[in-house]
Amino acid sequence: MAKTSYKKLKGSVHFRQRLVLATLSSTPVSIEDIRADETSPGLRPHEVSLLRLLEKISDDCAVEINETGTKLRFKPGVVMGGKHLVHDCGLSRSIGYFLEPLIVLGIFGKKPLSMRLKGITNDPKDPSIDVFRMVTLHMLKRFGVPLEGLELKIESRGAPPLGGGEVVLGLPIVHDSLTAATWVDEGMVKSIRGVTFSTRVSPQIGNRIVYAARGIFNRLIPDVHIFTDHRSGPSGGKSPGYGVSLVAETTTGCLISADSAVCYSQGDNMNAFEDSEEKPELMPPEDVGVQAASMLLGEIEQGGVVDSTHQGFLFLLCALCPPDVSKVRVGKLTPYGIETLRHIRDFLGVKFIIQPETSTNTVILKCVGCGMKNLSRKIT
Amino acid sequence: MGVSEDQSQPHKSHRSHKSGAKVKKNKKNKEAASGDKKQNPKAFAFNSSVKAKRLQSRTAEREQRRLHVPTIDRSIGEPAPFVVVVHGPPKVGKSLLIKCLVKHYTKHNLSEVRGPITVVSGKQRRVQFVECPNDINGMIDAAKFADLALLLVDGSYGFEMETFEFLNILQIHGLPPVMGVLTHLDKFKDVKKLRKTKQRLKHRFWGEVKQGAKLFYLSGLIHGKYAKREIHNLARFISVMKFHPLSWRVAHPYIVVDRFEDVTPPGRVHENRKCNRNITLYGYLRGCNLKRASKVHIAGVGDYALAGVTSLPDPCPLPSAAKKKGLRDKEKLFYAPMSGLGDLLYDKDAVYININDHLVQFSKVDDENGAVMKKGNDRDVGVDLVKTLQNTKYSIDEKLEQSFINFFSRRPPTWLENDVDEKDDKLKENDNGNLNISSNEDDEDLNQVQSMGSEKSTVKILGKESDSDYSDEGEECDDERPPALSCDLKEEVEFHNGRIRRKAISSNSQDHNSLEESDGDGDGDEEDYDDGDGDGDKEDYDDGSDDNNSDVGSESSDGGIEHNAKWKESLIARTISRRNSNLMQLVYGPTSESAVAEEEQNSSESEASDDENFFKPKGEREKKLNHKSGSHVNLEDCSKFINIQLKDWSNEDLIRSIRDRFITGDWSKAAQRGQMEDGDNDESVYGDFEDLETGEVYKSKPTDDMEGNECILKEDTTENEDRRLKKLALRAKFDSQYDGSELSDEEADGGKKKKYHQSQANEGGYFDKLKEEIELRKQMNLSELNDLDDATRVEVEGFRTGSYLRLEVHDVPFEMVEYFDPCHPLLAGGIGLGEENVGYMQVRMKRHRWHKKVLKTRDPIIVSVGWRRYQTIPVYAIEDINGRHRMLKYTPEHMHCLAMLWGPLAPPKTGMLAVQNLSNNQSAFRITATGSVLEFNHAVRIVKKIKLVGHPCKIFKKTALIRDMFTSDLEIARFEGAAVRTVSGIRGQVKKAAKAEIGNKSLKGGNVKEGIARCTFEDRILMSDIVFLRAWTQVDIPRFYNPVATALQPRDQTWKGMRTVAELRIEKNIPIPFNKDSVYKPVERKPRKFNPLVIPRKLQAELPFASKPKDRPAQKRPLLENRRAVVMEPHERKVHALVQQLQLIKNEKMKKRKLKEQEKRKAYEAEKAKNEQVMKKRKREERRERYREEDKQMRRIKRKTGV
Repeated sequence: MAKTSYKKLKGSVHFRQRLVLATLSSTPVSIEDIRADETSPGLRPHEVSLLRLLEKISDDCAVEINETGTKLRFKPGVVMGGKHLVHDCGLSRSIGYFLEPLIVLGIFGKKPLSMRLKGITNDPKDPSIDVFRMVTLHMLKRFGVPLEGLELKIESRGAPPLGGGEVVLGLPIVHDSLTAATWVDEGMVKSIRGVTFSTRVSPQIGNRIVYAARGIFNRLIPDVHIFTDHRSGPSGGKSPGYGVSLVAETTTGCLISADSAVCYSQGDNMNAFEDSEEKPELMPPEDVGVQAASMLLGEIEQGGVVDSTHQGFLFLLCALCPPDVSKVRVGKLTPYGIETLRHIRDFLGVKFIIQPETSTNTVILKCVGCGMKNLSRKIT
Repeated sequence: MGVSEDQSQPHKSHRSHKSGAKVKKNKKNKEAASGDKKQNPKAFAFNSSVKAKRLQSRTAEREQRRLHVPTIDRSIGEPAPFVVVVHGPPKVGKSLLIKCLVKHYTKHNLSEVRGPITVVSGKQRRVQFVECPNDINGMIDAAKFADLALLLVDGSYGFEMETFEFLNILQIHGLPPVMGVLTHLDKFKDVKKLRKTKQRLKHRFWGEVKQGAKLFYLSGLIHGKYAKREIHNLARFISVMKFHPLSWRVAHPYIVVDRFEDVTPPGRVHENRKCNRNITLYGYLRGCNLKRASKVHIAGVGDYALAGVTSLPDPCPLPSAAKKKGLRDKEKLFYAPMSGLGDLLYDKDAVYININDHLVQFSKVDDENGAVMKKGNDRDVGVDLVKTLQNTKYSIDEKLEQSFINFFSRRPPTWLENDVDEKDDKLKENDNGNLNISSNEDDEDLNQVQSMGSEKSTVKILGKESDSDYSDEGEECDDERPPALSCDLKEEVEFHNGRIRRKAISSNSQDHNSLEESDGDGDGDEEDYDDGDGDGDKEDYDDGSDDNNSDVGSESSDGGIEHNAKWKESLIARTISRRNSNLMQLVYGPTSESAVAEEEQNSSESEASDDENFFKPKGEREKKLNHKSGSHVNLEDCSKFINIQLKDWSNEDLIRSIRDRFITGDWSKAAQRGQMEDGDNDESVYGDFEDLETGEVYKSKPTDDMEGNECILKEDTTENEDRRLKKLALRAKFDSQYDGSELSDEEADGGKKKKYHQSQANEGGYFDKLKEEIELRKQMNLSELNDLDDATRVEVEGFRTGSYLRLEVHDVPFEMVEYFDPCHPLLAGGIGLGEENVGYMQVRMKRHRWHKKVLKTRDPIIVSVGWRRYQTIPVYAIEDINGRHRMLKYTPEHMHCLAMLWGPLAPPKTGMLAVQNLSNNQSAFRITATGSVLEFNHAVRIVKKIKLVGHPCKIFKKTALIRDMFTSDLEIARFEGAAVRTVSGIRGQVKKAAKAEIGNKSLKGGNVKEGIARCTFEDRILMSDIVFLRAWTQVDIPRFYNPVATALQPRDQTWKGMRTVAELRIEKNIPIPFNKDSVYKPVERKPRKFNPLVIPRKLQAELPFASKPKDRPAQKRPLLENRRAVVMEPHERKVHALVQQLQLIKNEKMKKRKLKEQEKRKAYEAEKAKNEQVMKKRKREERRERYREEDKQMRRIKRKTGV
């Protein structure tokens, strides 16, 4: 007991899940061979930033990284939460990367969390901040998370590579535990909503995206409202970019999202175009709209109560329920979802029953929750 | 009421006869009135509205008190036997009570009570009796698993401290029902005294437990046993007892170990007797479901990961569900392996049936090995068996050797141990497994060892099961025997330590076994993960790992086709599970291996590919890897799934394909789809399966989909109906149970009805709603998991409560085996998420009011939290009004305080119990403090007050330099701005470290002294002032905790941990350190001497008269004025003489008068004294008279009242 035994893992893959699950199950982990044989070995800036974020919200959390950054020892602490926290997410990944673990951890904290996150709000890699606002937070209420204090405010937007976005996240805490959910009826799409964003570009671009996207939806459903959110000045961040996030709402209240964004890419490409003294061609807004719309239709076609992006999140919530049966329906399992399932098995000992349903081409997953309780909460 | 009144009427009239006619008349009137009222339905209505209101509020209050938040009971299936802990001080008759109860239930005589004894007490109920050991550790452990506590009290002696201690322990760890039992009542000769004692003890017991708590009286012994009737009554009360779930136990799995084996390979023990042992623990799982890969805490030993968990058939099963009254004798099973008396002993793969000597009628009496035989109902077979056994007895050695060879050939592959299939689990005896493993190391050693150890000798198949004791019942037994034995049994006879044991193996499992073995032999060992359909699945898996998500649907359908033929023969459920496991296998891999193993697999995979791609450029290789294995170690972490190739959604066909997913589409189609789903949701027992099938069959003609569904649904209607009925029945059962528990027992039917209405009105539906929700949730859990086969079920939800488990634990200290004492029941409790971590806990606790002393901070105490007992060093604190946690040196006398502990974390709300001394011969109350965990908190600061004292070394106007307060300038920097104060009350502030130039350099030239602070005050301070700074400093809590490992030492020895400072001092004879300055002594204050005020003469001269000093001291030398001589005139002289003479006369007169007056006074005084004496005398007389009178009166009154 005196020595902590670490769970040994390898590689940088699914870093966030591992850390989140380690914290929730309070198992110390040591991760080895983090990009050990790459030209730039070790942890990436965003991963280090994530570790800092975890340290910030939790207490007695110990992180040890070796010199090259290829080995990490993480001993989780108690999630504290708290108000007026600030975290700079850096510029290598967008805020969405940090939000996913933060939301799961924050609801199991000692105190409600309110945090200001700075960095990139929309980029092509991670789910955009609008998707979090419109979809992810609404998923929580299915699992009995109290709604008071659950908010995500976008103060300013920032596109890569320079970012400059700022969001304020407010999260309540779970009082005892989540409640198991049966969520299999995806219903029919009754409306489509969305938000385009455009920073430091012509305000017309938003409208062009909307126009293109509507063109696709019009043949299917009339109830399409896509708002344009054009930011200029300081609230528009430091780099130009535009994109759209679309959400389809079904008759049973499921939210299916898709988003796409266009911007100048980060890192090495930046240098490249600085050298060549000309900016690379960006995808025209019409194409962005069409792409996003097609992605959304693709998600709708797949079925399931959530889109492919939220599968992992959904599974994690199911696994954290009290020992009751949760039942959810998703479309095709994504690699991320599958890996989440595996990690849940390894950390929480929860195994899902996965039943394909060929008639609808969906998969039904059932699990008995691990009985996670909010232990860090103070009993008064 | 009326009837009884009528009956008693003659007596009443007879008595009232004396009182006269009027009374009679009155009575008659009254009777008439009551007679009227009898008919009146409003007879008992309230007359007074106030009274009505009061009564109503009282009933409402009672109702509310009865209500508690409904909790979900997640246990499915038959519950584990209820643990009845029999507790009492030594020599009170605990064992005898258990013996009598067991005798009552099973008609068996127990010679001694060792370990838990499981008894089937009724058709629906089993009871496990555990005798609570007498030491406090044992009591604490027993309180943690007791479902019902019987507190035995020696009636002739009265209550002893143990009883109260145990009650307190129970209260802390969740209070189960408690019943008291008074014994030794035959020691009373005097009936009246007995009755009085009973009354007294009952009320004391009520005061401690609750008003009306049940207390039994066992009046005495008859033939060395308690009276049958009384035991019968007690048993009745035990069997109708209701148990409500306790929050800690509902959330944690636990096992009361009723069988304990050391399964260390004998070779290892031979080599080193003190090597770490492997043990197995057997017992019923209670609390909640146990996951396979969980950790347990063995009370008194420590935390261990479970090396293996297997579920065994119930050794003491409930009787079959056949409707009949009472239990047959055969069903009155009991199971007590530690007492060595149960008929049945279940091992991992076998059932040992032990038969008493006197029941064996046709074996040779002098035959040593044949002693443990039994008589079968099938005479011929049984006789044959015994005969063969007796015949073969002399060739045991040969048999042993033979069996040894067999033993190796039928070695099951090692992976079987991990296999989830329950039947497979039964196959492999654990001993054998271990021997196998070690046999690879040195065969020759093992040859010897095994021939010495337990071996099988013969294998026989019995056509019929033949374990009943009574041959005449044999025929009717067939349908009534317990389910575990109902299948055809194969029998293996084994010689074990010179005793024959017959191992009964169910034949189908045996078949399975042999099949598996042949498979295993053919293929090698570990490759074959899933025996039946392994190959196909594995191929699937390989395919799937290439791109495992794109073709999930089609793949599963492939699987379905593959198994089509099988499906027709085999069970539907089995097929479902197999098909499901296809996708599950894709996700979770072929076997349920631990994470580490999988990681290893991954790494090896990547290594292999590394070799392959050694000479390729780095990026390329990576790309390929990414492509190949979905779980490459350094893949980018991204939840968004980007690789969807976008379709052109302007295509009309595509649009049509998803048209129905929108409300603009075909509602009916969508509704049908939804309905289908709904149907699945409701009756998902086989629904999913049907869907899949139809989906497959009608894939080519999607329009027929509906039809197919319908017809199949029609086929299913009967099944559905059945299921629906079952569900209804379940629901009804649930309802009835729930109501039963809600309402108290004494309510009659009418009362119930009334109650129901009331509760409906009062609860406002909230409780009903909650209950409804809980019930729904429970039903859903049931229905969702019903269609799984056992193996998957265990994987998904863990082992169910109530199942009999065998836990294997490795690397336990040898002391545990060596000092194992069956009289001390072992408790193995599961550890929840994060509970194995060590950290700081904040506990709200209170010194027990019966503990004599207050507790001191940093004195080690032994704490029992959750399953654990450990010693730790607490720091007590109290929360100030501003939220500060202030350290306390001692716990408050009658108040709660906070304690900060370092130890294994327990979830908030867990009860905590502290004990300071574990020794048995301590007369006082041992429980020191009780409390509950508030939170775990690493951030909380416990602070204590600190005063920094300094002296001024230089004073400017209102600024002073203070030395001795700080030791360095750095420290001063820390305290800049802090408030300081002088003793005289002048407030100030620390400014900065004093600079050299200000006045600091005066100190012996050269160096500037560090630690001199510049402070400003609101007034000028004096050099004699003492300046102090009040601050708070954080107290660090010692990181010490020491598990109380009482199971690792002889039980009668007292566990020794860290000693308190006081104990150490006493032991080492060290005096209490004495600080001279802390001693209070009388304050001696020298009178302060002030110098006289000197006003310079010059100044004095200038002063106005008012300010001039006037109180000039007397001059020693007379003034000149007085010294000069006076010469008088003759006249003057005359006058002067005259005056003097007159004066003289006057003086003389006065003198005389004075004398006279004095005399007068004297006389008066004498007179007065005389009078007084007389008065006194008289008064005394009077008083005496009065008192005498009063006394008389009192006596008279007393006499009156006394009579």
